[in-house]
Amino acid sequence: MLSYFVTRLAQAVVVVFAMSVIVFVGVFAIGNPIDVMIDPGATAEIRQKLIEQYGLDQPLVVQYWTFLQNVAQGDLGNSMVYNIPVVDLVFSRFPATLELVLVSVLIAVGVGIPAGLWAGYRPESLGAKMIMALSVLGFSVPTFWIGMLLIMGFAVELGWLPSGGRGDEATVFGITSSLFTPDGWSHVIMPAINLSLFKMGLMIRLTRAGMVEAMGTDYVKFARAQGLPDRQIVFRHILRNISIPIVTVLGLELGSTLAFAVVTESVFNWPGVGKLIIDSILQLDRPVMVSYLIMVVILFVLINLVVDLVYARLDPRVRLKGGA
Amino acid sequence: MKKLTLKSAVAALALIAAAPAAMAADLVIGLRAGPDSIDPHWSTLGSQAEALRHVFDTLVDVDEKLQLKPGLAVSWEPIDDTTWEFKMREGVKFHDGTDFTAEDAKFSIERIPQVTGPMPMTLYTKYVDSVEVVDDYTLRVKTKGMAPSLPNDFTRLFVVPSETGMEAGNEEFNSGEKAIGTGPYTFVSWQPKGDLVLERFDDYWGGQAAWETVTRREIPEDTSRVAALRSGEVDLINYVPASDYLAMKNDGDIETFVSDSVYILNIAPSVKDEEPQPIKVNGEEVEGNPLQDLRVRKALDLAINRDVLVNVVLEGLGTPANQLMPEGFFGYSPELGEREYDIEKAKELLAQAGYPEGFEIDFTCTNNRVPGDAVVCEALAQMWSRLGLKVNAQALNGTVFFPAAAREEYTMTMSAWGTLTGEAAYTYGALVHTKDPEKGFGNFNRAGYSNPEFDKVFGEGAQTLDPEARKKLYEEASFIAMEDRALIPTVILQTVWAANADTIEMTPRVDQETRAYAITPVE
Repeated sequence: MLSYFVTRLAQAVVVVFAMSVIVFVGVFAIGNPIDVMIDPGATAEIRQKLIEQYGLDQPLVVQYWTFLQNVAQGDLGNSMVYNIPVVDLVFSRFPATLELVLVSVLIAVGVGIPAGLWAGYRPESLGAKMIMALSVLGFSVPTFWIGMLLIMGFAVELGWLPSGGRGDEATVFGITSSLFTPDGWSHVIMPAINLSLFKMGLMIRLTRAGMVEAMGTDYVKFARAQGLPDRQIVFRHILRNISIPIVTVLGLELGSTLAFAVVTESVFNWPGVGKLIIDSILQLDRPVMVSYLIMVVILFVLINLVVDLVYARLDPRVRLKGGA
Repeated sequence: MKKLTLKSAVAALALIAAAPAAMAADLVIGLRAGPDSIDPHWSTLGSQAEALRHVFDTLVDVDEKLQLKPGLAVSWEPIDDTTWEFKMREGVKFHDGTDFTAEDAKFSIERIPQVTGPMPMTLYTKYVDSVEVVDDYTLRVKTKGMAPSLPNDFTRLFVVPSETGMEAGNEEFNSGEKAIGTGPYTFVSWQPKGDLVLERFDDYWGGQAAWETVTRREIPEDTSRVAALRSGEVDLINYVPASDYLAMKNDGDIETFVSDSVYILNIAPSVKDEEPQPIKVNGEEVEGNPLQDLRVRKALDLAINRDVLVNVVLEGLGTPANQLMPEGFFGYSPELGEREYDIEKAKELLAQAGYPEGFEIDFTCTNNRVPGDAVVCEALAQMWSRLGLKVNAQALNGTVFFPAAAREEYTMTMSAWGTLTGEAAYTYGALVHTKDPEKGFGNFNRAGYSNPEFDKVFGEGAQTLDPEARKKLYEEASFIAMEDRALIPTVILQTVWAANADTIEMTPRVDQETRAYAITPVE
């Protein structure tokens, strides 16, 4: 178990390092951020001074080395646009994204898995067919458009829910979140549903496929012959057996949604990190781009680690060995 | 049972949401962009200046038409060729109760080079050599050479108290600790990309503002901003997209405010000896550059039906332009008449120039910089095809267009230019004057245009301190450049604000700023 962790950690360091090189070279290739930011009225002298001030006149290798040195000292740099340490900037917005993504994943799992189980349990029933049709809509209709429909319906026409933004926050057990207030929930529910639709469709289809396959297997037949009630067979035996692909996909989806929930965040004006990174790219805010992408890599490594741990819990045949 | 709980939950949420969005004394504005920092000396970004104006005052202010008016300085005049004297307003209080004096203005000028970021405000102090406090209410600025536009530069010079100290930076301002100005509102809180919350400053020298609290909320997505207004979450929004404008105009619940902007779509025909992309007749490259012939440029101009551009292509959100700046700007030439549309005359001129059958030409525009640039581009191509030209129009993303335009790879382009300073030197100096990196002229003159007559008159203006005389010279320069079709202006773009009907009164501004203290509730 310990050697497993050490190996994973070493892998993570290599991945993060490789990513930092790729991102740094890519960002360097786009061009000089000063040229994007500077006012047309600036003189060549002002421009040159700035380029020197930000070290942009140095060769790529030197800039990268400086960056590594700073990172080693725990300094990811300041945003060129906001002049705030990148870490502060990202973490001031990360809780909002985390809330949104957690609620949406809960919805996706809470609705998607039962619906998928039902659709696989009675594949010929009308309900199952409707569920499958809806699941197709879930990942084929653009998020942007559904978001607008939700806003038009529930915020503009009915006036039940706010059209965007994040609600009041409250602190419970030292954790500050808008999920502790009714106002917070009224703000989060629409974007969370919007964000969950794609994942829900995915969950339904994955669960159904696993369910249909499992229903024909020997162990289900034996369980039935043994006289076990269907409820017990489905939740005790089948669900556990078909969980591995579901957990894998869920882990990946969780990571990518946390990092890039940008469409939903824009439509609902949700103050999360997705919007931050897109704006940073448009403005060529280098420190934010580089540091954020590196943080995302770390996030993915962590999530995959958790997923592997969950595997082992679900399926005792999966062993956590070093070098795996 | 389960259904019931869900229903009651929805009802509960509905109740919460239905609580009155804002009291009459509060104003919530949904804006496309907000500040990047609360430090007023950090960046030149327009949305930054617009937001911070509520907290900090500038030495010189601008009216709705971008013309200079007194701010913290009540008057200014040159006392010799390289010295400006500013008289400070008396009886002005900072939010912390201290008095404003010339010392604070001096400190603010000197603070800029210490703290400014990659969008440098040193732009506004580039002519400043040294600053001298004569007495509490008199400030003298020595300039590097003659600087007639110094008062214009100072329209973005925000004043902070000299007690701020040079070491105070972004953090102290964002936290509110040092966010102390003389403006109509005091700073309450701000989150990057989030809400800027302001509270009225009762001792404001310009008289109390109408709203007790103002929330400036950033909603960059156009459709979401419109939805926020329609659902009552905000009282006012800026940058209403053209598609929604039409629907709002016919909606009795919503009131719109429309104003010309500083942005004008201009055509720039390259007049270099060899055009970057070949111009062809019957597939053969022509000798020389036809665009060098004034008759050809005039023909292009005459073939443009600006009324159609405004009313059909831009759905009413534009004004025909006859020069590079809107009316009322410093140096706007009243002598220039309206541009006429006369296709027959255009054909005649083209024939006289030796192209009776027209020619084939490439035409490149931006497609995402300002509303309507791509559609105007296509419409122009069609208008010119009626003249007999074969126009290969191409509308490109700004990130592709601008670098290529800077490399001067296009024969004819169209893009928007905004006279952000409200005076001719900024626009004509950058776009029309012969390229001269030494003097800093012609930075954006990508057409290779060079007119000694224009340069002489304009140069004289740039060396004239007397505002009236300078204005006359700039008007003359504008006239020369426009008559010579150095660039061909097409339409002035308009900006739209929207609010719930009969709730507020506002005078829309040509610089597109939304100033809460200039907005009043309808009684």
